[in-house]
Order: sequence, then structure tokens, then C-alpha cells
Amino acid sequence: MRQTAAIQYQRAAQARTPQIARADVCVVIPAFNERLSLATVLEALAPLPYRVIVVDDGSTDDTAAVAHRFNVCVIRHAWNLGQGAALQTGIDYALRLPMTRYVVTFDADGQHRADDIPRVLAPLELGSHDVVLGSRFATGAAAIDVPPLRRLMLRAAVAFTRLTTRLRLTDTHNGVRAFTRAAASGLNITQNRMAHASQILSRVAELGLRYREVPVTVQYTPYSVAKGQTLLDALTIVWDIATARIR
Amino acid sequence: MTIGQGIFLVAVLAFAYYATRLRSTRSDRLIYVCLAVAGFLLVLYPGWSTGLAHLVGIGRGVDLIIYLFMVFSLFHYAGNASRAKQLERAMTELIRQGALDTARPDSQVRADADVMRVMSE
Repeated sequence: MRQTAAIQYQRAAQARTPQIARADVCVVIPAFNERLSLATVLEALAPLPYRVIVVDDGSTDDTAAVAHRFNVCVIRHAWNLGQGAALQTGIDYALRLPMTRYVVTFDADGQHRADDIPRVLAPLELGSHDVVLGSRFATGAAAIDVPPLRRLMLRAAVAFTRLTTRLRLTDTHNGVRAFTRAAASGLNITQNRMAHASQILSRVAELGLRYREVPVTVQYTPYSVAKGQTLLDALTIVWDIATARIR
Repeated sequence: MTIGQGIFLVAVLAFAYYATRLRSTRSDRLIYVCLAVAGFLLVLYPGWSTGLAHLVGIGRGVDLIIYLFMVFSLFHYAGNASRAKQLERAMTELIRQGALDTARPDSQVRADADVMRVMSE
């Protein structure tokens, strides 16, 4: 009897959402005080058949309220922990859902394009790779209105990463990434703040994951530049990585 | 390079190794006690620092004390950083669990969860 009720319910649910969304792709969006840009990002993602998971990282504005207006999963940190922690929370949530096969990360500040998501997913679906990293500097990519100092910092980060992880990459701090379920399970990001980008790449190297870059578009706006990382933040990242070894 | 400089460099390198590989609460306390006793003795016998400094070629006793203080400060920093990191890990875990437990699912996740619940009853 119960079983019949369950099946009836499921059929009804399917009837309501006929275009059975691809429950196997979770797009994780960490957001801290992104009231101004989050709605635009979620509107761009809405027509796409992916499950969206917004992690509000203890925002002091109404970021969570914006997210609640959309049919997305909303997770809220009671306290601001940092982008790395927010990503890991979103990944944990995605992995709790049994249907999840792929996890995509995406920034909330509006600098990424939603139509790049199918492109980073493609190599995973072919089974040729475990991790796909978006690159704004790869051939065929577009990095629009990058401030010169920002470009220099990103180049330095690439050189540093090549030296320490031996990964052959052109862009190490791009918010668009895609992981298979197995790869996402192995990430275990413990760098709560911005050093998580380097940590993810270290994990990729350690675990010997099959990775590749895919060109994506990054559109800088005055808003995204203001929300982005400064030279001083870069120093903090280096510091976080250096002191991570203290027991 | 004088003997003193050599000792100081070795001390800093040894410290780096200690902070990243060997640290434990018990050994931390032992080092604190040793440093405190050394400080106590240097106050009681001011001549010792000068004698010791001359012995290792540092020059003045005050310089030796400054060097010792620098090593002590590094040690103290590592202890605090380690404690802060433990706290941060615990806090992250707490906040993460709280966030996951109170997450608002989208309509499909909610429907799936309802189905699972009904089926398991």
C-alpha cells in the first residue's frame, strides 16, 4: 500500500517537472555577499538542466534571500568561513545526493558563462578525464577586460603551480571546474580561504587524477574586479600555504 | 660565519622541522620549561650570557639573549598557529554540519526525499 503511494507520488512529481532535470550534475556556487550578482547568475543557470547548490558563506547581506527565490538547494554557513570551506560544504551536499555523478564549481560574481558548463562536462562524460579545469588563458578562451596587475598575479600563480605540482596548466585560479563523483570525493578541501585553488590542484597531482583544461570565457566587470583578489590577498594565499604544514 | 651564527641558523632550521613534524603538547611544555629555566639562570647570573656569547663568537651577551628571544618567539608563534588551526578545523566542522542539516533542498531533492521516506515506512 505504502509502496503504491510512493510510486504514485513519484509519477506525480515527474508530471509536474516533465523535463526531468539532470539530477546527476550538481553546480556548486559559493556566495559571500553576492546580493547584486547572484540573481543574474541563477537566472542564467535556470534554463539549464543542472541541479544548483548555492552555499551562502555567512553573508551579511540578503544573498540567501536571493537564492531562496529560485528552485535551487540553499545551504547557509552560520559564520563566514571562506570560499574553500563553502566549496567543500557544497561538494559534501552534492555527494550526499545518491544521483550525483558530476560536480561543477562556479563563481557567484557573474564573471563566468553558463554555457561553458556543458563544455567542461564533456570530457567527464566521455570518460577520458576525472577533472576538467576552466582556463581563461588557454587557446580559444577569452579573458575580457582583465586588469593588467590581475593578469600578472595569475601568471605568477601559474608559474608557482607548475613548479610545485608539475601540472601543465595555463590558469590555476579559475572558478569553473568539473569533477567526477570519485574525484570530488577525494578533494577534501581544508584550506578554508583562497588557498583552496592551489590545494585542489595539489590533490589532483597527489591522487594522479586525469585532468585537462578547457577554454572558458571570463568577463571582468568593475564588480567582479572589486570582489576579486588583490596583491595583498595573494600574499595571504602564500602565507596560508606556507603555514599549512605547522602541526 | 661565527659559531654563534651557525648555531642560530641550525636552531631556526631545527625549529622549522620541529613545528611541522614533531610537535606535541608534551614536548612543547618541556621546551617551555627549559626556556624558562634558561631565562631564570640568565637573570640570576648576568655574567653567563656574556661569557657564553664570547664563547660562541656572538660578541655581547645582550645579542645572545635577543637571538634566544627570537627562537622563543618563533616557537610561541607556532604553538598559537597550531591551536588556532585546531579551533578553525573544529569550527568549520560544526558550521558545516549545521549548514548541511538545515539546507533547503530544491523541489526535486525534496520530492526524492519524500519518496524515500514513504517507501521506508
